[in-house]
Formats: sequence, C-alpha cells, structure tokens
Amino acid sequence: MQFKPRNLELWLMVAAALLIIVVLPCLNAFAPETSWLHVGNFTINLYGKYLCYAILAISVDILWGYTGLLSLGQALFFSLGGYMMGMNLMRMIGELGQYHKPIPDFLVFLGWTRLPAFWKPFASLPFALIMAALVPGLLSAVFGFFAFRSRIRGVYFSILTQALTYAACLLFFRNSLLMGGNNGFTDFKFILGHDLRSPVTQRALFICSGVALLLVYGVCRWLTNTKFGKIQRAIRDSENRVMFSGYSTANFKLLVFVLAALIASLAGILYVPQVGIINPGEMSTEKSLEAVVWVAVGGRATLVGPILGAFTVNALKSWATRAYPDLWLILLGTMFIFVTVFLPGGMVGLPGQLLVLKRRYFSRTPKAPPAANPTPSPFVK
Amino acid sequence: MTTPHKSFVLMLEGVNKTFDGFKAISDLNFYMDEGELRTIIGPNGAGKSTLMDIITGRTKPDTGKVEFGRDTDLTALSEHEINRLGIGRKFQTPSVYIHHTVFENVLLSLKGSRGVFAALFSRTTPAQRGRIDEVLNTIGLAGKGGRLAGSLSHGQKQWLEIGMLLAQDPKLLLVDEPAAGMTDEETHKTGELLLGLAGRHSIVVIEHDMAFVRQIASKVTVLHQGSVLCEGTVDEVQNSEQVIEVYLGRKKKDKH
Amino acid sequence: MWGAEEKSSVPFLEMNVFSKLSSVLLCGFLLHGLKAGAQEDPRLRSSLARAILSAEGEQQSILGELGESGSPVVREVLNAWVRDSLFAYDLDGIKIPVLLDDQSDAQGKVRALRVDDGQVLRDANGTELRFQTADLTAVDTDARLRGLIQQTLDAIALSDPDPNVRRSAVLKLGNSQKLKNVGVLQSRLAKEAEKTVRKSISEAVALLELGESDPSKQVAAANQLRRLGAIGSVASLQSLASRSTAPAEVRKAANSAVRAIEDHLAVVNFFGTVFRGLSLGSILLVVALGLAITFGLMGVINMAHGEMIAVGAYTCYVVQNLFGAGFGFSVNLPFHFLGHPLGFGLRLPGLNATGAWYESYFLFALPLSFLTAALAGLVLERTVIRFLYRRPLESLLATWGVSLVMQQLFRMFFGANNVQVNSPRWLLGHFSCYDVSLGYNRVFVIGFAVLIVFGTWLLLAKTPLGLLIRAVMQNRDMASCMGVRTGRVNRLTFAFGSGLAGLAGAFLSQIGNVGPGMGQDHIVNAFMTVVVGGVGSIVGTIFAAIGVGAGDQILQQLTGSPVTGKIVVLVCIIFFLQWKPGGLFSIRSRNLD
Repeated sequence: MQFKPRNLELWLMVAAALLIIVVLPCLNAFAPETSWLHVGNFTINLYGKYLCYAILAISVDILWGYTGLLSLGQALFFSLGGYMMGMNLMRMIGELGQYHKPIPDFLVFLGWTRLPAFWKPFASLPFALIMAALVPGLLSAVFGFFAFRSRIRGVYFSILTQALTYAACLLFFRNSLLMGGNNGFTDFKFILGHDLRSPVTQRALFICSGVALLLVYGVCRWLTNTKFGKIQRAIRDSENRVMFSGYSTANFKLLVFVLAALIASLAGILYVPQVGIINPGEMSTEKSLEAVVWVAVGGRATLVGPILGAFTVNALKSWATRAYPDLWLILLGTMFIFVTVFLPGGMVGLPGQLLVLKRRYFSRTPKAPPAANPTPSPFVK
Repeated sequence: MTTPHKSFVLMLEGVNKTFDGFKAISDLNFYMDEGELRTIIGPNGAGKSTLMDIITGRTKPDTGKVEFGRDTDLTALSEHEINRLGIGRKFQTPSVYIHHTVFENVLLSLKGSRGVFAALFSRTTPAQRGRIDEVLNTIGLAGKGGRLAGSLSHGQKQWLEIGMLLAQDPKLLLVDEPAAGMTDEETHKTGELLLGLAGRHSIVVIEHDMAFVRQIASKVTVLHQGSVLCEGTVDEVQNSEQVIEVYLGRKKKDKH
Repeated sequence: MWGAEEKSSVPFLEMNVFSKLSSVLLCGFLLHGLKAGAQEDPRLRSSLARAILSAEGEQQSILGELGESGSPVVREVLNAWVRDSLFAYDLDGIKIPVLLDDQSDAQGKVRALRVDDGQVLRDANGTELRFQTADLTAVDTDARLRGLIQQTLDAIALSDPDPNVRRSAVLKLGNSQKLKNVGVLQSRLAKEAEKTVRKSISEAVALLELGESDPSKQVAAANQLRRLGAIGSVASLQSLASRSTAPAEVRKAANSAVRAIEDHLAVVNFFGTVFRGLSLGSILLVVALGLAITFGLMGVINMAHGEMIAVGAYTCYVVQNLFGAGFGFSVNLPFHFLGHPLGFGLRLPGLNATGAWYESYFLFALPLSFLTAALAGLVLERTVIRFLYRRPLESLLATWGVSLVMQQLFRMFFGANNVQVNSPRWLLGHFSCYDVSLGYNRVFVIGFAVLIVFGTWLLLAKTPLGLLIRAVMQNRDMASCMGVRTGRVNRLTFAFGSGLAGLAGAFLSQIGNVGPGMGQDHIVNAFMTVVVGGVGSIVGTIFAAIGVGAGDQILQQLTGSPVTGKIVVLVCIIFFLQWKPGGLFSIRSRNLD
C-alpha cells in the first residue's frame, strides 16, 4: 500500500470516468455502425453489467479488504436490491404479460386474481428504491447487530453469513413467498415508462451505473481516509487492541456491514433492468464468493482493485464461457487458488510484490551483477 | 490491607473464576493504591493473565467484587467501556496496527471521542499532533512517526504499544510482560520508562524477569494457584520460604 | 437441506393414496407382463379367452375359477378388460380376444397379442397384423360384469405371494365401503399366515363393518378398530361420529375409538419423528465428522469438503459399474494438436456380476471410497492447504477454488447429470415396529454413524497417530520442537478427515442423488453442525448433529413444510450462537487471540 501513488490513481479514475460516462455512450449513439469506433448495444449492455459487478466488488472489499470481515452474504443484499427493483419492473409490465392480466404472470399462474397487498406500492419507482435501501439495510443491521454483539468473527462470520444467504435462498425458492419462486422475475418491459429494450434506455442505465460506481468509489475513498477508515483497518489488523483502546468495535463493524449491504443493493438495483432477470440463483453463496474472487484478483484493501478485478475476471468469463465453456470453471478455480496462495495483493499488489522479490533477490546474492534488473511491469495501478 | 478504604484505585475481593473445572482464580483479594507501581509475579498457570482479563472485562468472574476508583463495578461493563474509564492494557505479544504508521497508531489511541460518527468527521488538530510527538518522545520513537508499525523491531513495537496506552492517558495501566523478547538494554530502557510513568499513573506489571522486577518494583505480589501467596518488597518476597518453594525454585528448574 | 431426498413415503399417508397409486402402477406394467407370461399355463389362457367370449352365466363361474389362480396374466387381461382396452378380432369368422402392444411403428400402428396363446396375431399367411386402436372394437362390458371382474382382480391380489401386495389389496378392499367384500376378506383371513396381513385384514373387516346397519355390529366394529389402533380408519370413524343419523351409542363408540387412535397416532408420529431425526442427525454427523477434524482440529476451512463427499459417492458409482457392465469415460478437450482434437478416455471391463455377488459391490466400495477421498485429500493438502495453515480465511477462499475445479472435473468425467447408484437389496425396503415405519437404509445410517464415530474415537484416543494428531493440533510449534514431524501429521490428519468425507459420500449415494453438485447440498449443514457443536470438539459435533437433525424433523412437523422447517432451524442456529458463540462444547482459550 505504500506503493500507491494516490494522485495517479485519482487521475486514472477521472480518465476512466470520462470514458465510461461520456465517450462510450457517445460512440454508441453517434458513431456510424460501420465505423470501427462504433460501440455496439451488446457491448454497452455487457459493460453496464460489469459496472454493477464493480460496485458489488467494492462492497465486498470494504468489508473484507478493509475490515477483515469476509461476508458471504453480499450476493444476498445484491439480490434483495435487485428483487425490489424487479418488483417495480414487474408492475410496469401491466397487462402485456402472457396472460394479459393486470397482475404479474407468475401470480396468475399461482391462481391469484388480485394483487397481494404488499405488491401494490411497488408501482412507484421511488417506493421500490426506498424499499431496496430499507430491506437490505434492516436485514444487515439486525443480523450484524447480533453477530457482532456476540463477537462472531473470522471464519465464523463467513460461515454464519453463508447460512443466512442459504436460508434466504431457500425462502425465495418458495412460491408461497409470492416473489416468483425459482423463476424469479423476468420479461420486463418498461422502466419509468421507457422501453427497456431500446438502446437509448440501455445507454441511460449504463451511464447511471457509471455514475453510481463513481459515487460509490468517491464515498469509499473519502471514508477510508477518515479516522473511521483508519479504525476499520485497525480492527482488521488487531481487533483486541482497538477494543482495549475504548472503541466499541461492534458499532464500527455494524456500520461498515450496513454500508456494504446498501452498496451491494445499489449494484443489484442497477443490475436487474440491464440484465432483465432476477432469480434466487443470484442469491447463492457461490455468487458471493465469485465477487470475492474479483476483489482478490484485483487487489484487496484498495479501491481500484475491486473495479479492476470485476472487469478483468468478468471479461475473461465472457470470453472463456464462449470459447471453452467446459473449462471456464476450472480456469476460475485455478486462478482463485493461485491468487490466494501466491498473490495476496492481487493485480494491484503485483508491482509491489515484484519489487520486494527483486530486493530480496539482490540482497541474498549481493555479488550478482545488477544488470538484469526485473523492472516492475509498466502497469501502475 | 484487611480493611478496604476508598483511596484504592483498584480493588478485587473474593474473586473466583473456573474454566471447565479448572480453578484459575480462587478467592483472590487484591488492592492497589493510587499512583502505585505494582509487580505481579507467579509461576505459569498462577492466574496472572486471567486476573488481567477480569480487570479489563474480557472475562467475567463467577463470584466476587471488582471495583475501580470510587464504587465503579467493573464486572458489569464491557472491554471498551472499561477502557473508557481509564484502564489501559498492554498485551503480552505486541499488538499494534501493522499497516498503520507509528503516528496513526498513536493517533487512534489518543484520549478523545470514541464514537462511530465522531470518527467519520474528526480531523487531527495541532494540539493532537503536539501530544503525539510528546508521546513518541517519551517512548523513544521520535522522528519515526511516518514509518509503518509493521516495520518496527520487536522492542520498538512493545514501546509503541506502551505509547499507545500513554496516549489514552489512563488512570491505571496494566502491562503484561513488557520485557519479553527484549535485549538487556531494551529491558533496562523499558524499566526506566515505566518508572517515569509511576506516580502519574497507577501501574500493574506482570513480569518473569527478576532483574527487571528488581529494577522497577516497589511492591511485589506473588500469585499462586489463583490467589495471593504473599506481598512485599522484592527482598521480602525473594526470601520468603513459601515463594522459594512454589516459584523461584521451580523457575530455576525451568531454566535448565 | 438437512439430508438426502426421502426415498420412502410417510407411512400414514400411504393408505389414503394407495388405491390411486396401485391402479396407475398396474396400468403401466400391463403389457410388459403379458409378454413375459408367454410360457404360462395354456389352460389358464384358454379359459380366459373363453370367459371373455362366453355368455353371462358361464363368465361368472369361469371368473370365479380364475380368481383362485392368482396368475399375473389373468390380472393383466382383466385389468385391460375393465378399462375397455381388450379387443375382439374377427379372424375368418372366429372371434379372437386380443390386447394391443405398446410399441407403435412408423404409421402409429401396433401389433396385437392373442389372449388365448400369448402370441402375436397373424393372418392366415402368417404375416403379423397391425392395427390402430380405432380399427378394433372393444369387448363389451356392463356394470355388473365390471363388478365381477373387479372382484376377481381383488381375489387375485389377495392371494399374491408377496405379503406387501396382499396387504395393499386388503387395504383397498377395506376402504371400498362395500359390505360384500367382508366375505372375501374373512375367507382370506382363514388362510392367511402372515401376521401383519392378518392384522390388516381384521382392520379392513372392522372398517367395512362400520357400514353395517345394525348398531351393535357398528359398535363392535368401532371397538375392534380402537383395539387395533387402526390409523387408516380415523376418517371413517370421524364421519360416523359426526353423522347425526347414527345412534348415540354408535357415535359414542366411534368417538372414543377416534380419540384412542389419535393418541396412538401421536405416539407413532413422535417415534417416527425421533427416528427420522436420529437418522437425519446421523447423516449430518457422518458428513460433518470429517469436517470436525479438518476444520475443528486443524483450523482449515475446507470448502472442497463437499467435493470429497462427491469423490466417495462417485467411487461407489465406479465400483458398482465395475461389478456390472464396466466403466468408461472419455473427455474431449477443446484444443487441437496438429489438427487432431485432444482428449483422453478409459474403458475398464466389468465383472458382469449378478445376484448377491453384484450386490456386495457396496462392501467393496466403502473402503475404496475412503481411500480415494483420502488420496484426494492428501493431494489437496500437499498442493494448496499447506500454504494456508495460519490463514483460515484464505484457506476458505482457495479451497472454494478447488471445489469449483473438482465440480467441473466431475462434470467432465461423469456428465452433468446425476448418475444412478443402485442400493443393494438389503438396504431397500422397511419394516414396521408398532406402526412406526423404519427404513433399512435409515437404520443402516444410524449404525454406520455409530461405527464411524467409534472408529474415529479409537484412532484419536488409542493410537500413537491419534496422540500425535492431538499434540500437533494443540500446539503446532511445541510439537514441532519435540521432534514431531508436523508436516506429516498434518497430511495424515487431513487425509483422514477427507477419507471420512468419502465414506459419507459412499453412504449418501445410497439415500440421495449422486451428481457433480451433491457436495454443495451438504457443505452448509456440515459447517453449521461443526460450529454449533463447538469447533475442535468431536463430542460437540455428535451432539450438534443429533440435535440439529431432530430439531429439523420436529420443526418440519410443526410448520408442516420442510423448507420452512429448515429456515427456522437456520435462524435458530444463528440465535443459538448469540447465546453460546463458542458452540455447545467450546474449547475455551484463556489466551487472547
């Protein structure tokens, strides 16, 4: 972390933000389709998805990288946000569903003729958004309160969040929850009256995701620079010392946990209209762990790392699942093993690690000619 | 010491603690005066660390009274609340924040608000900087404020942790084996550091190294099997038949 | 979530759904049976054909005789008859009763099978005749005849050699509410030797006699049902008790019978729940025990533990195939070398064993699944785990990567779908003990769990290796200083824990699905069990497994839904850890960190 030229990072972020928020959508909208500059609708949609993943990755990182809490429940909060958004989108379908009824298709299928009461207010997008903050926020607050109060930490915290996710996943698979059962929500048509399939809407959502990512990045960057952020990392390194310095570590962890849940939920909110489906499969522990892979590969305890990791791993996934569908999981698994065992700093930490290696190499064999100097890769995060 | 009076900074009476059938502390009485520097010695398993745990709220005693200052019952409070009352603890193994700088380590320990939201908006004031420099001077780390704590030597980490306690300005300092793993020179410096602090703070030191004890101790308490075996000056204790039998004799055997 | 799929149904539901189920089953097996029965007694066949074509009076007497025979051919032809799928074909003026084959050819036509000799129907030139259902006319029946045929069918079922079939037939008759069936049942009772069938017959008779018009007989029947504790008669008794036209003493008797039976039912349900809870707990225990060793003793979070279970289960599958027709696989890699697609495969010939020899495959598979999983564990320890002994969170992440890789390897070698592992016959079926149905496989799992726990205890407590394991787990550095080769002990311990997972897999292959993702179904439960029991405490794991298993079953009963029950259990566990963060048997450390 001492290899972090912070100003460079800021400049890179500004450049990336410009690219994401201005250049790419413009190329999509205005460049002629025959031009090599043109960015296709598919690409915009794909990158929009990656942006949401990057937000999710940041939420994993401020818990795991900065506070030392490996939560396997981030996919749950992500899906909860997605579900709340999905409820609004389901209501927006109106009577255009397959059954041409004023209530969502799956409810018709379950034999409902009227809308259940809790579905009604979701016709309003602001309400859905408020719920998307409230539901994951409350759940994480209650769970976190109990977990941190009884000093559940380390792997126990991971196992417990895994159990929570599993329980919620089972719950959402049930039809009687009236949340779409194992098919979840899909076949969305409109968002705020705009056709979801039109490139214009998708472009707008893409820009929204870009802005959201920037905001999340900014907030987390500010947070990690405050005293709060310092205490966060202090908890990670020596929780007992923090506690015996008079800080109520439970409260600090609780706030981080809730904040991470909200960020994950935000990612889910933006993810669902762009991908067009949300189902309980998104709620699994594996999805949480996949997000952890992004962070690990990119570099934990940095804010660029998760963004970088989310983009790299998912781009790799998009390519590999098409080119070598059978080998993708093996590749992912191997990559993860390799990174955890040999590259604890991830991509961002790589230059630093090489530097250390170099130093060690030269200090061990002082007589070796210093000619072949392994320069750190030109990539600086 | 049979009749407790109110000038004690710390008072434990009739404390018992059992772990899975093992009696770690049995009917322990312990009193400490304001500003006193007290050393606790005792063989392994005598209950020294458990005693610390009980005072700092990490472990709740099965029975007994633990009071701090005037009538503050410590048994009902949690670790961070006890710390806020002014009881600082140094662990046996140095525990500092290795990814923070020395400066930040002390900064996080400075006396002041401990709230979550205060932490979000707090800024480092010049007064705080001055205090941190003062602490760094005291512990001999002046000019090293920008270094990562993880890169310090073992002895420096121990001092840094003592410095972090000082920054809290506690009324009572509990120091667990500060000289463990130090060179003789470092040990000596640590002793002087503690002596310099005595008077302004009440200090309890747990230590094995008798030379170190001799250097710092005014009064020594010997623990054995969870209760106080005897109390007195270093000489008194070292010449006590009981102590030689249970502690010093055994320690010599351990060494060879 | 807490266990494998149920292969046996809930006993007290069985009776209500049985009648529907049996007819469906019979229908399905209809024509296969006819072909198989080609070498049946020709006399039976000709009298069958005669019965079909003759006049009413004669039909009755022939059917009566046929009922005595108990022959499956008769049963199937009669079943077809009542369902209007028995046809008469006019072959040169002679009517020949035929059944249609179930395999249609390209034109949607099927062959016809003669009832009188079981052969395919041919014309004079010897060519097979083919028909569509609409081409033929069904043999006429009327209500009376159908009743007659049904009676014959019942009689056949009642004299079936399999006691379970007999019992089912008895239950069906008992629920028929036709008093005339009492005679059939009582005549069977005289011949019946099997105790359980006799009890069923008494129940059925009493149940039918509830429909008598004579109140004293009704009271006697109700009392009889109460004595027998006939669980299947509650509904009838209740309706009788609430029927306003029934005499007061009948209603009173029915009421008291209902109460008595419900009490009995509560006891049966209770023991049933306890038994299922115990067997579920045993499954959990078997699954969690390996984890208790790798996680509890070694502090390694092995997310690939579930895949070790799958290794054991797949070993079972391979051994089974080796005893059967052989085992082979081929994997094609998506790469080319000099224009040739790369891939590899293997074909092992099978023993083509049959009967008891084939069924004994499981006994060979058990130790092998332990060994293969232990070997896999050894490789895993050498390649990944040993780097991560002091980084539990990272061991969690790296082993998750391992679990992904292993799942994909399973898919490549064994296919993405579940594979079929046949249980030996001695693990199928169940027996009843005071109306509590005990599946052999469940009894087996309990015994198996006890054995494994005992073996583990022996290893840890009584062998030199166990001593070393305990020493290393308590203080790695000290043990290392004392000359213990900690690396080797770690390897062996991890291999042992993985081997236990393999055994669990072999076991689970007998009661649940075997597929690439099977490990994931169990891993959450296993972790929760270990955490609830107290990490590092094998005794804790045992108690936690049984407690969680029983809790799950009880909550399933209370909430009426397996999923809700599981969710409640999970929430309860989360709250339990509030109260005892260290689990049931926490190894309390007096040191910080």
